[in-house]
Amino acid sequence: CKDLELAPEDQFTDLTYWNSPAKAQSMLNTAYSQIYSTDHFFYDEAMSDNAYSRTDASGSNSIATGAYDASLARLKDEWTDHYRGIKSCNLLLSNIDRVPDMDEALKTRMKAEARVLRAFQYFQLMTWFGDVPLFEKDITIEESRSIQRSPRAEVLAFILKELDESVSGLPTNTALSEAERGRITKGAAIALKARVLLYESRWADVVSTCELLINNTNNGSYSLFPSYEGLFLPQNEYNSEVILDVQFVPLTRTWGTFFDLAPISAGARLNAMAPTQELVNSYRMLNGKLPGESGSGYVESNPYNNRDPRLTYTVVYHGYTWKKPNGSTQTIYIKPGSDPNAAKLDEYAPGSSKTATGYYLRKYFDPTHTTSLGSGLNLILIRYADVLLMYAEAKNELAKLDEATWNQTIKALRSRAGFTDAGALNYNSSWSQGDLKEIIRNERRVELAMEGLRIFDIRRWKIAETVLNGWVHGAQFGPANEDGGYIRAGQRSFDKNKHYLWPVPREERSINPNLSQNPGWN
Amino acid sequence: TGYAQKISLTERNVTIEQVFKEIKKQSQYDFFYDLEMLQETKPVNISVKNASIENVLEKCFEGQPITYVIEQNTIVVKRKPKGAQSLTSAAIIPVNVSGRVVDEKGAGLPGVSVRVKGTSAATSTDIEGRFRINVQDANASLVFTFIGYGTKEIPLRGQSSLSVQMQPEQKALEEVVVVGYGTQRRSSVVGAVDQVTSAAIEGRPSVNTTQALQGVSPNLVVQQRNSEPGAGMNLNVRGISTMGNNSPLVVIDGIVGGDINLLNPQDIETVSVLKDAGSAAIYGSRASNGVVLVTTKKGKKNMKPTVNYNGLAGVNDPKMFFKPVSAYENAILRNESRANSGLGSVVYTPEQIRTFKEQGDNEWFVDAITQSAWQQNHNLSVTGGSETSTYMVSVGYTDQASNFVGPSKGLRRYNYRMNLTHEYGRLKFTSVLAYTKSDIRDHASSTGTLMVDAARVPLNYRLKDDEGRYLTNDVLQEFNPLGVLEKGGFRKYDNDNIFGSLTAELKLTSFLKLKGVFGGSQYSNSQFERVMKVNYFPAGVSGADYNVNDESRKLRDLNTQFLAQFTKTFNKSHDVDVLVGVSNENHEERGIKLQRRNTDPELGTPVTETIINEAETKNSNQGSGQNSLNSLFGRASYSFDNKYYAEFNFRYDGSSKFRKGYRWGFFPAGSVGYRLTEENFMQNYRDKVGDLKLRASYGIVGNQNVGNFQYQTTFFTFGPAYGFNNEEVSATGFNFANPDLRWERAATFNIGADFSFFKNALTYSFDYFNKITKDILVKPQVPGVFGTTLPDFNAGKVRNQGWEMALSYRHAGRVLRHTVSLNVGDTKNKVLYFEGTENLPRVDELRYLQMTGFPYRSYVGYKRDGYFQNIDEVSAGAKPSGLLVQPGDNRYVDANGDGVIDDDDLFVFGNPFPRLTFGTSYNVGFKGFDLNVFFQGVGKRTMMLRGELVEPFHVNYGRTMYEHQLDYWTPQNPDARYPRLADDGSASNTNNFKRGSDLYLYSGAYLRLKNVQVGYTLPQAVSKKLGMQKLRAYLSGQNLFTWSAVKFVDPELTEFDSSLKNSGGNSGRAYPTLVYYGFGLDVTF
Repeated sequence: CKDLELAPEDQFTDLTYWNSPAKAQSMLNTAYSQIYSTDHFFYDEAMSDNAYSRTDASGSNSIATGAYDASLARLKDEWTDHYRGIKSCNLLLSNIDRVPDMDEALKTRMKAEARVLRAFQYFQLMTWFGDVPLFEKDITIEESRSIQRSPRAEVLAFILKELDESVSGLPTNTALSEAERGRITKGAAIALKARVLLYESRWADVVSTCELLINNTNNGSYSLFPSYEGLFLPQNEYNSEVILDVQFVPLTRTWGTFFDLAPISAGARLNAMAPTQELVNSYRMLNGKLPGESGSGYVESNPYNNRDPRLTYTVVYHGYTWKKPNGSTQTIYIKPGSDPNAAKLDEYAPGSSKTATGYYLRKYFDPTHTTSLGSGLNLILIRYADVLLMYAEAKNELAKLDEATWNQTIKALRSRAGFTDAGALNYNSSWSQGDLKEIIRNERRVELAMEGLRIFDIRRWKIAETVLNGWVHGAQFGPANEDGGYIRAGQRSFDKNKHYLWPVPREERSINPNLSQNPGWN
Repeated sequence: TGYAQKISLTERNVTIEQVFKEIKKQSQYDFFYDLEMLQETKPVNISVKNASIENVLEKCFEGQPITYVIEQNTIVVKRKPKGAQSLTSAAIIPVNVSGRVVDEKGAGLPGVSVRVKGTSAATSTDIEGRFRINVQDANASLVFTFIGYGTKEIPLRGQSSLSVQMQPEQKALEEVVVVGYGTQRRSSVVGAVDQVTSAAIEGRPSVNTTQALQGVSPNLVVQQRNSEPGAGMNLNVRGISTMGNNSPLVVIDGIVGGDINLLNPQDIETVSVLKDAGSAAIYGSRASNGVVLVTTKKGKKNMKPTVNYNGLAGVNDPKMFFKPVSAYENAILRNESRANSGLGSVVYTPEQIRTFKEQGDNEWFVDAITQSAWQQNHNLSVTGGSETSTYMVSVGYTDQASNFVGPSKGLRRYNYRMNLTHEYGRLKFTSVLAYTKSDIRDHASSTGTLMVDAARVPLNYRLKDDEGRYLTNDVLQEFNPLGVLEKGGFRKYDNDNIFGSLTAELKLTSFLKLKGVFGGSQYSNSQFERVMKVNYFPAGVSGADYNVNDESRKLRDLNTQFLAQFTKTFNKSHDVDVLVGVSNENHEERGIKLQRRNTDPELGTPVTETIINEAETKNSNQGSGQNSLNSLFGRASYSFDNKYYAEFNFRYDGSSKFRKGYRWGFFPAGSVGYRLTEENFMQNYRDKVGDLKLRASYGIVGNQNVGNFQYQTTFFTFGPAYGFNNEEVSATGFNFANPDLRWERAATFNIGADFSFFKNALTYSFDYFNKITKDILVKPQVPGVFGTTLPDFNAGKVRNQGWEMALSYRHAGRVLRHTVSLNVGDTKNKVLYFEGTENLPRVDELRYLQMTGFPYRSYVGYKRDGYFQNIDEVSAGAKPSGLLVQPGDNRYVDANGDGVIDDDDLFVFGNPFPRLTFGTSYNVGFKGFDLNVFFQGVGKRTMMLRGELVEPFHVNYGRTMYEHQLDYWTPQNPDARYPRLADDGSASNTNNFKRGSDLYLYSGAYLRLKNVQVGYTLPQAVSKKLGMQKLRAYLSGQNLFTWSAVKFVDPELTEFDSSLKNSGGNSGRAYPTLVYYGFGLDVTF
């Protein structure tokens, strides 16, 4: 016979768990692990004009084409994922004081880390959904069934307050021991705050917040990494440009999205998302002019020549010289009928499982990948280049972008990218504020292309109804009589009256009738 | 003389020896006798009360060829003096006896076994019922047995010519039915209990017992999830009454915790299905889904060793119900689909299409990776017994080869069983010991992936080129199924199970019995997997990590019971039977798991690059679980004059799965029965028509089917979850709990009636039930805001109603013997309450519903209203927002009339659980020939099909259309089954296929010729010459024909698993259906 009072062998109860700082740290690790979804990081690009997803990965094509409603699975995932992260933070914050004999400084720091992580989750929720339920302590199941959405302004105020209050408890990146790399720092909290303010167009605040990191070492030390290509390579992880990144561990904690993004001949199985012609068009010529501008020197039949070097480090195009992990190279043949090899692995073919646009992705390809293109490369959420771009944009919006700011931001980025031509690097005093706005926005697009940020930019700039309408294109491999021969990859539609906010997921509202809905979605 | 004891005895049709034993128990007398001598005695009927020993002995020696002398306290039994016997006979003189056996109507009965009692001499009747046999002793008795008829024993008393009339067995009434913790005569059963005997499952090539039970009992619903060797099956009693696991409790030889699928179907004696609360309440907290009681065969006392062999060998042919169109046709269709999507470029050029047509089609990949495969079942048993003990020893072997090509795969099961009983005075010991080894060898991939990969490739591709390289292509970019099957490694399951029990029974007095039972089951299961690297041409690789995975798990169920049973008849007409018992059942399991990557390519051993996959590795404390259940249970039954019956069953259970305070639950049930035809005023009816019994029961049974420790919020660490500085760190997970978790309770009302007609040639029974289950243990809906999921809560209430009937008819004509049986059942459920009112989880394109007022997990989607036939209809009609639909696209019903198709326009459709399930068999015999035909089917079911089976070129994964999809919309075919073709990603495709509608729902009704057997039994005269008592050879076929509403899938495959989890519609991933043809042999030595 066996007793009825049994206890699990591999689990703690709520009464026995909170007994050491290591246990608190373990819960904090859970919160860290929920910081950002890898799939969303990549496939969110296909919600924007930068990329097209043939397979509707993470609901990106449904959203880009406007063919969705409150039942779309992605909406529920987005909603649920963030509240999962918030729960881990709340559990830590409400229980860490129960841990006996804990060093106060350590406790303060862990609380600050959790609060920044929680603020980041709320920030993402607020950005997609507007008003969302806001709570600072773990809630009961009953509360979760009746809670109302808090006004967006309240959520925003909470996020900013949390970030402000956390900074003092956090170490600078320079004070971080090597073993702690990847943790939230003062710089990360400040840069995140800058992003929050940027999305609110609070330009003066953006400027002052960015200045806490630019030419200021009180909050850590950041600079552009000398090589744009190298920024995304495993040997340069934790470089001086990285402010916050999602941590992976080579071989053991990896992500595998590139299996569906890289050229097939580089080891991918198929293509789920490909850069668009519209993105490729936004890369300047080496002389600083855009392909369409007079005097750009752009040749349609040789379109990838003399382009912004960042194009090559981001997008794989026809005739691309692909660097293989072993150092040798191969040419990627995408144009139909061009591949001397009979297998024609990468060639564009209508209706095939290969690229739908005639492009593949390069940025974040890990040469040290495991089988099936698994990678332990960290994914950068905020980098110093972004801070410079935010700074430039805010300065210009305040009509305060001068040559010094230009040199410090756009010029620095272009030089680092490999531009040498004065036409590309130098400030032109004849630019109007409007010209500069376009230049900075375009710079932001190419510098940060395929890093998951474009969708937020086109939404805050309110240009989505323009850039997400009509056909999205690929390379010039289509029938000549359609759109100049540029592949029509898919059709898009954006309704400015409803699509700027996602609907609250249907299921959430059916469980909790107190959740209101966004305009246009009822 | 000696002792003046009073003896009370009521025995019917028992051996004299048994009476001796009874007397011995009640008195101080001992008996002294020669066993041989007792075999000549005839059965005794005796009913005495407080009688003297002399009185009793006189009664039982009356008319016997033996007599007795009382010496002190020993009774010496001896033969009667010669003179006392029949005058015509001389002692021990051989005699040649001949005669004729007729049935109840006077027609000759062929094939009746005629045996000289106590010897091995036997024969059987010829076609006219005549027999002739040499009997060594003219005073011996002849025993006549024939299936379906009552055994008849006739003392020769010197006669040499006999005329014997046999009567059909009063089977329906005299059959012994296994019930919880005991047996009852069929006539006194007042619950809804169905008993299936071994006859119903013999000769079918069933690989496991669940399969063998399909269609044999009404509302015992068996569903195949997949035909692959070793695949799980669903077993359900009376439909859906709860929201989680609906599997019945299985009890094997009185022990809870055995695995029904590890049993050798040939070892099964009976399977009792306890359907209502009246019969099941004695299993209390686990009985709400019904109870299936299995008993295995045992030997018989005084039985010479009988050796029985039966074997089946046959071939399973893989059958696919859908077929791809030819390559060139497919190319044209793809171009049409693309053109319909507004895309200018074609997929196939006219030259390519011409080439496809000229070259003809390649073999469909599905046909290339499947083949016919052998199946064998062999079973050998020895049964026998002596005066005090019995034995049954059997060995079984089942071998079902996989239909996949490549290295041999499939299921092998080895069964060994030894069932022993021994009596030692008032003590009886029963020992059951069974060992099962089951070996499954599988490929290292997933069958669903292999099947769908093979099915979705159009016929213009090849699997292998002339150089023998495995090919990849634009459809299968990474690997192809042939490469995986032939070179991709293997997975091997090696499972051992020992099941045993030891029972000691002490008969304290004639009316009081004590019983102790200890038993259980020990499982030791292991799985070993090696994934091998296969390179494909021109690109792709599979198994490149050389994974080596090991998993092993030990599970133990122990069960201890003490029972006391009081059985007594008062005043000849008040039968009282009281049973009380206590028991503990407990379960313990632990297992380990290890996965290594990058191992040595040849041996799979660790090398420099090898790493351990931490996430897949578990020590045994991580894979441990235990639970325990203490119980007090009992049954009191009373009957008056075999006419009125009342019974009360209860169980009081305490479970470790609930916290103190909610731990104990009481589950009572009461039943009453009335044999109307036993009334005097019904005598005329009884004589002319037959019996009629009415039954009713009401009771409460429970369910504790939840995970262990769910009432406690727990925290656990796991790793690696994240990393800092490229080093892994572990993290903490948590399971939130509901401390107030308590029993699920089902209140069940049942009424039923049993009829018999034409002297039991026709029997019919009917039951109706209404069951309300409340406090259902189900995961409640959890808002995303809560931030985690929750375990089961008592969060639902379901009503389940239904009925079932069984009919059987037997007729033995002059030439043909017929047996017909039919069973039909239906259930209907409705969710009465679900916490959170509504839950609409997705199941692929559709959703299903958990919502108050509707059947559990009904499908939900848009309702189609034909197609938009022209542009005007498109512009006027309601459409999903954001979709530019075209003529030929689905038009949906705008339920709320707001001009937009959205979530407010959803309809509730049917549900995937089968209704109106039935099974019917017909058996006809002619001389030595017999024919058995068994049909089984479902009258009503909503079946979801999806993926490639519905959507042409499904999500661009599928690249071929199938023949059944050719009925699509064109202006010339406006009433097509399917909408017009359009590529994935187009508005039309999104409207037609990505907006879940009844397009994905089909009727799952079918009738299947499940099994046919044609057999021939050798006349015994011939078989005896060959040294056999019986020899039957037969041909058997399984799944031979299917009549169904939908022709392109196997309608038997279900999307529900046994926990009613909807794994999604059949999308062309199913292993082929197996059509079996085989030969069987049944020999008794």
